[in-house]
Amino acid sequence: MSANKVWQCITCGWIYSEAEGLPDEDIAPGTAWEDVPEDWCCPDCGMDKSDFTMVEVGSNGLGF
Amino acid sequence: MTAPCIIIGASHAAAQLSLNVRQQGWQGDIIVIGQESFLPYQRPPLSKTFLSGEKTVEDLLIKPESAYEKANVSFRLNTQVVEIDRQNKTVTLNNGDMLEYAKLALCTGATANPLPILGANLKGVHYLRNAHDAIALKSDISSKKHAVIIGGGFIGLEAAAALRQKAMHVTILEAQDAILQRVVSPEVAAFFTQLHESFGVVIRPNSIATSFEGSEAVTAVTCNNGEKIPADVVIIGIGVTPETRLAEQSGLTVKNGIFVNEFAQTNDPDIVAAGDCASYFHEIYQTDIRIESIQNALEQSKSAAASMNNKQIAFSSNIPRFWSDQYDIKLQICGVIDGYDAVEIEQDLEKRVLNALYFRKEKLIAAIAVNNPAWLTKVQPFIKNGEPVNNELIESMRQK
Ligand SMILES: Cc1cc2nc3c(=O)[nH]c(=O)nc-3n(C[C@H](O)[C@H](O)[C@H](O)COP(=O)(O)OP(=O)(O)OC[C@H]3O[C@@H](n4cnc5c(N)ncnc54)[C@H](O)[C@@H]3O)c2cc1C
Ligand SMILES: [Zn+2]
Repeated sequence: MSANKVWQCITCGWIYSEAEGLPDEDIAPGTAWEDVPEDWCCPDCGMDKSDFTMVEVGSNGLGF
Repeated sequence: MTAPCIIIGASHAAAQLSLNVRQQGWQGDIIVIGQESFLPYQRPPLSKTFLSGEKTVEDLLIKPESAYEKANVSFRLNTQVVEIDRQNKTVTLNNGDMLEYAKLALCTGATANPLPILGANLKGVHYLRNAHDAIALKSDISSKKHAVIIGGGFIGLEAAAALRQKAMHVTILEAQDAILQRVVSPEVAAFFTQLHESFGVVIRPNSIATSFEGSEAVTAVTCNNGEKIPADVVIIGIGVTPETRLAEQSGLTVKNGIFVNEFAQTNDPDIVAAGDCASYFHEIYQTDIRIESIQNALEQSKSAAASMNNKQIAFSSNIPRFWSDQYDIKLQICGVIDGYDAVEIEQDLEKRVLNALYFRKEKLIAAIAVNNPAWLTKVQPFIKNGEPVNNELIESMRQK
């Protein structure tokens, strides 16, 4: 799977790692950003998906 | 027909709660009652980009009006709830109307602490809690004018950064030995002191404002040492008090906030509370706390919405998170920096590096990062899971 990018919320800095997903919100590990539902909001600041940008943290996700 | 779900307050907690209650299955009406005149808007920008930029409050709405229409959530704005009758399950509004509720949510937030000294009503003296305050303050901003900010907390520091960007002269009066005393450790406070000084802000520790001078508009602030500091604009940022009046009046448990359980329920099972107004027992820190942050308001609201639908989502072991923007810096804090017995810190102001780990009895309890969100994300599970911290984690903060 190539779903290994890392995205950052511009407003609050919260990180979405595709490799990790967001199991608490039923977003499975490996879920690509484009497959996160459009009505999803940032858990830390509540902003919409459109307020995220991609952060380059190497090619290997966050390396957890 | 069942009575509606009523939400008091129309801000971050209420916006989330109202939509969540519907999402989680509430069939009846949902009514949000707010005393401000706007639909829920984002408060964080008020001390940041709103002051230095061109946005209007309408640009800051948390959700467009259509989102509430779609969820069939109705608003009564410019309306205050003045009383709750728990026996009869009604609320009374300031226009005399009485509404029945099946479930009630208190999302009343917090109010800026007043500074009741001589001259506090002069033109040019501002608070910074709501859009009304921010609009008034913004109209007073102009380059070369002098601003005196009372209180070196996050709101004061963010406002200082925004006003410096507008080329104002800025002085911060801090009553304690250093800024940010209440929230971070001395090293971090020193980092932010130097940051602000490097942008030309004057920080005066141990300075207490005793009166404001001027006949119509403020012209100076007098300090406890007798000194008068010229001021065209004053911002008072000396903390907030949770809005608990309705809860107290109706006999709900209040402990530095409306006290709720892990499901955001008050001691009345039909009444929930969420956001800045609510306090709770934190499972990991084993203490009663009240958190003032967006993330806290959002998470408690999700729990509260579940409770209103007779479901259970616990929030009380979630790790609090907070951010602050000042100049080119984004500060992020996770955890509660209180009662630590060891600190690991890496800092370099020039390079904009500040990473800190706080420990109690060898367990990680909090972390701070500047412009380093990926690292903070990596650190968080150690707090949440109470895992012992290895050298690798500490080294990771040095490698930045
Ligand atoms: C300038 C500023 C900057 C901030 N920056 C950040 C940040 O960077 N990051 C972060 O995490 N947090 C930040 N915060 C904190 C964050 O905004 C609060 O945690 C959040 O607003 C809490 O939301 P709430 O809905 O609980 O309460 P509030 O936002 O306080 O809203 C409560 C609402 O209820 C209304 N109300 C109260 N009583 C009644 C009544 N009886 N009848 C009708 N209406 C009533 C109030 O008028 C108010 O509109 C900031 C706050 C401010 C003021
Ligand atoms: Zn965010």
